[in-house]
Formats: sequence, C-alpha cells, structure tokens
Amino acid sequence: MSSRGSLIRLENISKSFGKVLANRDVTLEIMEGKILALLGENGAGKSTLMSILAGQMLPDTGTIYLGEKPVQFSTTEKAISAGIGMVYQHFKLVDAMTVAENVFLGQKGGFWLKKKKMSQMVEQLADQYGMKVDPGARISDLSMGEKQQVEILKLLHRKSTVLIFDEPTAVLTPNEAENLFATMKIMVKKGKGIVFISHKLEEVMTVADNIAILRRGEIVDRVAASDVSSTAELAERMVGREVLLQVDKEPVEPRQIVLRLKNLSGPGLKKINLELRQGEILAIVGVAGNGQKPLVEAICGLSKPPSDTVTILGMEWRKFFRKAEWDNALSYIPEDRQGLATCQGLDLLDNFLLTTRGGFTKGPWLRKEVAREKASYLIEEFDIRPPDLDIFAWQLSGGNLQKMVLAREFYRKPRLIVAEQPTQGLDIAATEDVWNLLLKAREQAGILLVTGDLNEAFVLSDRIGVMYNGKIVETFDTDNKEKLDQIPQMMAGLAVA
Amino acid sequence: MEIITIIIPLLAAAVQSGTPILYATLGEIITEKSGVLNLGVEGAMIIGALAGFIVSRYTGSPVLGFFAAGIAGSFATSIHGVVCLWFQGNQVVSGLALTILGAGLANYLGTSYVGLSAPGFSPVAVPLLSSIPVLGPIFFKHDILVYISYCIPPVMCLFFTSTRFGLGLRAAGEYPAAATAAGLNVLAYRWFGILAGGFLMGLGGAYLSLAYTHLWTTNLTGGRGWIAVALVIFAFWRPGRAVLGAYLFGSVMALQLRLQALGTQLPSSILLMLPYVLTVFVLVMSSWRKKTNEEPAALGVNVEPAD
Ligand SMILES: Nc1ncnc2c1ncn2[C@@H]1O[C@H](COP(=O)(O)OP(=O)(O)OP(=O)(O)O)[C@@H](O)[C@H]1O
Ligand SMILES: [Mg+2]
Repeated sequence: MSSRGSLIRLENISKSFGKVLANRDVTLEIMEGKILALLGENGAGKSTLMSILAGQMLPDTGTIYLGEKPVQFSTTEKAISAGIGMVYQHFKLVDAMTVAENVFLGQKGGFWLKKKKMSQMVEQLADQYGMKVDPGARISDLSMGEKQQVEILKLLHRKSTVLIFDEPTAVLTPNEAENLFATMKIMVKKGKGIVFISHKLEEVMTVADNIAILRRGEIVDRVAASDVSSTAELAERMVGREVLLQVDKEPVEPRQIVLRLKNLSGPGLKKINLELRQGEILAIVGVAGNGQKPLVEAICGLSKPPSDTVTILGMEWRKFFRKAEWDNALSYIPEDRQGLATCQGLDLLDNFLLTTRGGFTKGPWLRKEVAREKASYLIEEFDIRPPDLDIFAWQLSGGNLQKMVLAREFYRKPRLIVAEQPTQGLDIAATEDVWNLLLKAREQAGILLVTGDLNEAFVLSDRIGVMYNGKIVETFDTDNKEKLDQIPQMMAGLAVA
Repeated sequence: MEIITIIIPLLAAAVQSGTPILYATLGEIITEKSGVLNLGVEGAMIIGALAGFIVSRYTGSPVLGFFAAGIAGSFATSIHGVVCLWFQGNQVVSGLALTILGAGLANYLGTSYVGLSAPGFSPVAVPLLSSIPVLGPIFFKHDILVYISYCIPPVMCLFFTSTRFGLGLRAAGEYPAAATAAGLNVLAYRWFGILAGGFLMGLGGAYLSLAYTHLWTTNLTGGRGWIAVALVIFAFWRPGRAVLGAYLFGSVMALQLRLQALGTQLPSSILLMLPYVLTVFVLVMSSWRKKTNEEPAALGVNVEPAD
C-alpha cells in the first residue's frame, strides 16, 4: 500500500547481470516534497536501481507503482511521460546546439521553432528555480555546472515530478554544488520528489530528508537525516564497519627532483614554474578549466610543450618520451577512467597490459600467462571486485575500475605520478584505500595531484599550488594555515592582500 | 573592356558547371547532417542522370525527367539506407558499393543510348534581373534548373535552424542518444536525410543529362560526386558555403575547358586534372584550419534501432 504523498513506489525489484546480483528485492518509495538520498558503496547497485526507474532497463522481477497503478517503463520515453526524469552523469546534450534548442528538442509543437518564445520560456523556467542560464549559449561553451542546469531544465520543461540525480556533484565546484542544492530545495517546495545519489556524506546530511542505504544490492538501512548525528555514523551504517577517512601521513624526506617546469606556456597555460621532488605530493587545486587539463597533458605526453620547459626525471621532455621506459618512470592516472585510462571493450588482463606490457614481452610475443599470474595477484591485493580477469572493463563499477588502474600503474613502480581527480565518484571506503595507496606510493615517487576536492588536497599533500586562469597563483606548504584560508580567494582570481 | 568580355562568359559558364555539383553537395549535406555518411553520391548522381534522360526521351517532357531523376536518386540511396539503417552495415563500404553499383548500372542500361539526345532545358533569361550589368549575364541567363538551385540553400538553412524537424535531424547527426532520450525516432530522421539527399543528388545528375548536355554519354558524371563529398567538408556543412565551393569548382572546370579550346601548350590531361588537384588542395586547407569543428559529431556512427 502506498502512503499519502507517495509519487512512485518500487516494489521488490531485483536485477542481475550474469552472476552479479545488482539489486535484490528492493522496495523504495519516493515522496512528494522530499529529498531521498541513496547511499552505498561502489557497485552497491544505486545506478542500476535508478536506471530501472528511469526506463533504461527492465527489472528481472518486481513492479513499479505509479499511485496504485502498476506500470512498466520499457523505454526512457515512457518513464519521462510518467513524470520520471533522470539527470545522468554523462550529460545527454547536443554540444553543437544552444541551450534553448536542447530544452525544446523532441517537444511537440508547430512546424516552425519560435526562437524568441523558446528563449523566454527557458529563461522563465530557470528563474523560477533559481538558475541562471543564457538560452542562446552553445552547450559546448558552458561549464559542467551550467550543462547540468540545462539537463534539469529539460526535465522541468517536461513537467517531471520525480527527479533523479546520480552523483550530480561529482563534476561540480563547491559553489556550483551549493546552487544545485538551492535549486533542489525549490523543487521539493513545489511538490516534486527527488532522489539524490552521492558519495559525499556531508552533502547527504545537509540536503536529504530521508536516507536509504544499499549494500550488495539490498536495502540494509533507512533513516531520517535528522536522526543521524555525524557523517561517521552514516559511514558506519553504510560500510558496516568503522571508517575513519583519516590517513596517517608520515613525513618522507624529499629527494631528487622528478619534475621541473620552467616557464611552461601554451594554449591555456601561462608561464608555469614548479618543481616536484620524490617523496612529496604537490596538489594542484582550482576551479576546473583554469589550465589543469593542458598542464597535465603537457607533462604526460599528450601535447607537446615548447622545448626546454618540461624536464622529467632529469631529462628534457622530448628525450624522456623518446626513451619511454615502461617502469621506474612516469605513471598517469587520468580523470577519464573509462576513456583514457582503460579500454572498455577489453578484458581486465588486456587492460592491465595496456601500460605494463613492456614487462611481459619476449621478442615480439606477449607472455600472457605470466601477466595473468601477476594481475591476479594484484587484483587480490587491491581487492578489486569481482576478482575475475576475464570480465570487461565496462562491467566494473567506478571504484573498482579506479583501483584496477591504480594497481596497474603502481605495478610500474613510477618515480613520477600524475593523478587527476583520483577519488572522483568513489565511495568513502574506496577513497580511503586510494588515499592510502597514494601515500604509500609517495615513498618512491613524486606525486602531482590535480584535484577539485580541497579536502583531499589538505589530507594528502605536502604542498599546494592554486591555479587560476592558466597560472599558478601561489604555491605553499600545506601546514601554512594562513595561506590555506586564502585558497578560495585565490581560486576565484581575487588578489590576496 | 576586353577583359570583361572574357570574364563574364567564363563566370556564367562557371555557374553552369557548378550547378550539378551544387545539387549534389547540398544533397550530401542534408544526409550528413542526419549523421549518415554517404560516399555513393557519384552512384546516385549517375542513376539520376540516366533516369532523367530516359524519362525525358520517352515522355518528351524534361520536367518529368527532372523529377524522375530525383526519385531515382532517392531510390539509389535507399539501398544505402537499408544497409546502414536496417542492417547497421559499414557506411563507408556501403557508400563505395553504391558508387560502383551506380556506375555499372548506368553503363549497362545506358549503352544503347550513347550518343542519342533527349529533350532538355534551355536557357531563359530572367526579365529585369538579367539586364543588371555584370551580375545579370553571369547569374540570370541560365536554364530554370539553375534558378531552382539558387532557392535551395536558403530553404535548407531555414530548415536546419528554424524548424522543429530540422532541429531533430541535426540532433540525430550530433548525438543520437540525446535525440532518442528526447523521444525522437533517430532512424526516421536518418531515412529522411538519406532520401532527401538522394533526391538532390539525382537532380544534380539530371542537370548533366538534361541541361548541361542533352546527350547521353558514358561516365557523364565524371567524378563530380566525389567532388561534392569533398565540398561538404570545405563548406563546413553549411549550404551557403556550398554555393561558394560549387562555383569555385565550376570556374576551374570552365577555365579548363576554355584553355583546352584555346589550344594551350599544356597537355589536356593536365588540364582535366585541375579540378581534382583543387579538391585535394581544398580538403587539405579546410582540415588545416579546422579550429571550430563543424562536423556532425555522430557522422558515420550507426545507431541500433529501438525495439
Ligand atoms: N551493464 C552491466 N553489465 C554487467 N554488470 C553490470 C552492469 N551494470 C552494472 N553492473 C554491475 O552491477 C553492480 C551494480 O552496479 P551499479 O552501477 O548499479 O553500482 P553503483 O551503486 O551505482 O556504484 P557507483 O557508486 O560506483 O556508481 C556492479 O557490480 C556492477 O559491476
Ligand atoms: Mg553509479
């Protein structure tokens, strides 16, 4: 029976992929005017459950009730017309079109597009929900936060009553996240129901009304957010054991310089100077799009810097990449785990060999059996689930995929590591693991950590560099309290007194 | 004065030789905008040319021939549609096959017509407009098919930017998943792109057999379909720039004919090569300066039919 104010109800939903049981007997109700947070470790089945609700796939068993009526969402279209809309992590927006065109794509109406009216309607709608977007702007010119607003506008324009957000803040700056929460609050005030998935527990504590926790596909706990006293308590309920999210950072004596940038300029970069020594972590923080990407690309060999600006392990960039040793050199842990770090259509063994094959060759041949042995060992050591080398990369959840990438890269015993957003989208347990792994790697390597998560920078780094508009504004030690407080101003490009 | 009397007829000839290329380029643009790469332009053109010729010859009506050419063009490209949209076949291979098929078919069916003529279109000067100095004789002393071709680019622009259907078609070519998520039938839009494109390619063929010449010869299209494929890139998928490109090629072709007629020292095969050298050059140039990428993002990527 559904209670008053229930918008939609999932009853006894189960879904499995081969041997993996992603959802088991899940019952969930989404209430009018409430934000329901869905928590769970990587691979717990949150996204699967929500894709079922959004009509992306059908459950194996179980029923969805709209009011008292059982419904079947065999396509997203059906779910949308029933008022269920999902904001995906990968935005479904046409880059080459404007905001208004994207909002109106697929909408019924006359033969002609009335551009003025479209713009007005989009502006009005955005206004109602406290958003600011230019209806005439091309999607490709927007920031992640703005793109997300367009996705939300699309759903609101379609009169969605239930909005699902799957890790919406993973790609947002703290400021943008605040705006999103404000918008969400307005939505529930207007009677909509919201499902919110996030790994950031403070966020969940501040925005959610109710919290449901999934573990291995099952709902193991439900609480009202007001009954939870701390994030630590929430973390414990979620993982089933105490999680500290604190790591011991033991001082390591910095040794020789592994990376030196001298007046590095280029598209998006202005005269960058920095030095990184073995045994230290240098965090580069800043709002996304202020030059972090070009910086990483220039260091990791994806774009060519001017000569004599980048020196890696004592070698000029060109010389370093000409020699390109597979081990004891440079490891790159890209932000784009599914695109740059792995090949989605290859199995885990082949993915393991992508960067380590130098160690498993014999003449023209790959010694796959030896590699298999090593990789199986690593999978166990890094606790990658499921522990099976023959599954494809796309079958792994985000956290496990990241651990797999780390396992591979650390196997190369790098002396220089460039890690980009290494814990984005990871649950707290996995985050803790990754942090510990990075700290351990620090003993042998210099780590350039590019992150949007200030907390991560504080916890891990020895020094912090703030990037703004293609420049490194300032670099300072992480125990310099005074400077730490000024980071937000530096990130915004405001002169610091 | 002397120079004007040479240049004006040359430019008028440029418009004329550019017109079939323009039709074909516009056809390919609409196809590619929907996300389908059709390398079979040459095949669709020659099938259109032959169909137009035969229908005009037997009915005595070039107008009927003209439409028959368009329909035959759509018919030809529908093969591409079946392969790529129904069976998810490789678009490059299917397009190449269409080119070969078209050439073979037109050769086979057309052999008995070689050297024969059919009623076609003749130039009609547009009153008033044709008496504008310089522009009049260049643009307004042609046959009706040229005038029709003037109307298509603005209509296409309007279609892409200001109609609901055009918006859907572009979405199908840019990001089919987004279009599907918005409840659009991507395959239907792609069918439209393929068939409408084929229609225009067929018309381009008809221009060759019914206006440019009134004769049937083998290999009438002579690689113009390939030039059209290249021109789409040069035009950045914009109908307006396609006009520019088509007339640029038209001038080289016209110039090359003039030079041959004047009897220069240059061997004729070198002159004949000119348009294709220009094709390569234009492609290199337009990819060189490619900072803003206008190519439909999902061009050549098949989509699974929704069940
Ligand atoms: N298409 C698929 N094919 C096979 N297995 C899948 C597929 N999608 C998900 N899985 C598996 O189902 C389980 C649940 O995955 P799901 O993506 O729902 O997790 P999640 O809770 O969203 O995790 P994360 O926090 O990492 O996003 C995982 O073990 C995953 O590997
Ligand atoms: Mg997920």
